[in-house]
Amino acid sequence: MKNRLPGLIIPLLLLLWWILITGEGSDTLLPSPAEVFSILVHPFRDQISTGSLIWSMTVSLVRITLGFSLAVTIGIPIGLMMGASTHVRKFLSLMIEMARPLSAIALLPLSIILFKSETLSQFLGMSYLRYQKHLLNEMQLGMIFILFWGGVFPIILGTIQGVRSVRKLHLEAAKVLGARKTFVFRHVMIPSALPDIFHGLKLGIGRCWMVIIAAEMLPGTNSGIGYLIRYSYQLSRYDIMLACLVIVAIIGAFFSKGLEALGEKSLVLRSRER
Amino acid sequence: MRALSVTGLVKTFREKSGDVHALGPVSIDVPQGSFLCVLGPTGCGKTTLLRTIAGLEIPDSGSVELMIRTNGRQPVVGYVFQQGALFPWMSIYANVEFPLSARGNIDRITRRQRVEAILDMVGLSDFSSSYPHQLSGGMQQRAALARSLVMQPDILLLDEPFSSLDTRTSQDLQENLRNTWKEAATTVVFVTHSIEEAVYLAGEVVVLGHRPGRIVRRQTIDLPDPRSRLSPEFTEYLVSLRRTFEELVEEPE
Repeated sequence: MKNRLPGLIIPLLLLLWWILITGEGSDTLLPSPAEVFSILVHPFRDQISTGSLIWSMTVSLVRITLGFSLAVTIGIPIGLMMGASTHVRKFLSLMIEMARPLSAIALLPLSIILFKSETLSQFLGMSYLRYQKHLLNEMQLGMIFILFWGGVFPIILGTIQGVRSVRKLHLEAAKVLGARKTFVFRHVMIPSALPDIFHGLKLGIGRCWMVIIAAEMLPGTNSGIGYLIRYSYQLSRYDIMLACLVIVAIIGAFFSKGLEALGEKSLVLRSRER
Repeated sequence: MRALSVTGLVKTFREKSGDVHALGPVSIDVPQGSFLCVLGPTGCGKTTLLRTIAGLEIPDSGSVELMIRTNGRQPVVGYVFQQGALFPWMSIYANVEFPLSARGNIDRITRRQRVEAILDMVGLSDFSSSYPHQLSGGMQQRAALARSLVMQPDILLLDEPFSSLDTRTSQDLQENLRNTWKEAATTVVFVTHSIEEAVYLAGEVVVLGHRPGRIVRRQTIDLPDPRSRLSPEFTEYLVSLRRTFEELVEEPE
């Protein structure tokens, strides 16, 4: 029988929330689920002059896309090299182990010093966008840097793990079948590593999502879903704040499940051998 | 004419718990076109011998020489592992095509023809788009065999390829292999611990003693084809080799 518990948890939580608010003598500041819902059903309406929910979400999503893409394009090649070569691994591992515990949030002040408040539009020399409301004006380089930082280490570690877990038998088989090193790398090592690479990507994007929300709550930002959480809290608009939390939770789960689904096939094929 | 010459081969594995002298010294000459079975009890170093011939292990001393005349090109060595070693993320077709694409100098159409011909020969044409885990153990071993045969090897090395299969499947594959060997006129070195398998398949049997593996007996198997496991001559070879095996066990190390 299929386990129905996961499907029941959300309605139960909603019910508990409802009881908390409407209960006898309740003095909670929490808005009701209906109030939060009424915010969520108007995604294009301007909220407390920060733009619509869709705008805030878009800003956050584009930021994470940029930061995460950077983490992927740099993390996977580094991981592949470190996994395949003992020399490279020895050379880089200490550096990585030192860098990894520095949380992305801890680096935010440093990134402000390094990148000031330079945005992508300035970086690309598109200063004519300056006084317009444009996405590129919201892409602070410092924020992309800390997103990259947040995502890159799980990706590197997952890729190393993947490359190193390739079975000796498969490498030997490739060798006796006459495959050269680059061919083995492309057709044996990478397919073997894919499940772990996808696992790293999943962890990486989860980290990025946590980092962006936290980073947008720090000073120096005035857009994005994290900013909206902080700003609505300051204005005591807890309905908007909770609506944002719901959105964050849903998008986070969506990322995670999406990457999981992508990694599923490769995992199934690798683990089912006998 | 010799296809392969092994001279004074010695292999010791250096383990944390001390050195393990696994093999040798062993010297064997394998004539071109012959079917040689290396027979021995578990752990006698017969797999090590085969792996060294294939270049998967580096010997401490001694040499392996491939002497096949190939008109200037590198001789092709095929190797079949005890357990398939098929790539689980590739279809059967892609697995069999692997050694051809790895060489990179064979065009797509030729590759397709050769892969399809081999799959047809081992009876896996209908499974070319299946994945290894969808096939039975016997079919997986046939696919592994096809993957080696598609290279048209000058010498084919097999390491107990049928030992994990049930008797019936194993005997079918033995018959297949012997027929393939006769058709392809290739040289085969087959490692096994089964006396019956060796007598059925081989033109010559080499018996290795307990570790460190050394040759204790060489026996030509002179039986007409098709070989019958029930014929008195077959049983005679079987009994005689079993006697050698039992003497091995009694001999103190």
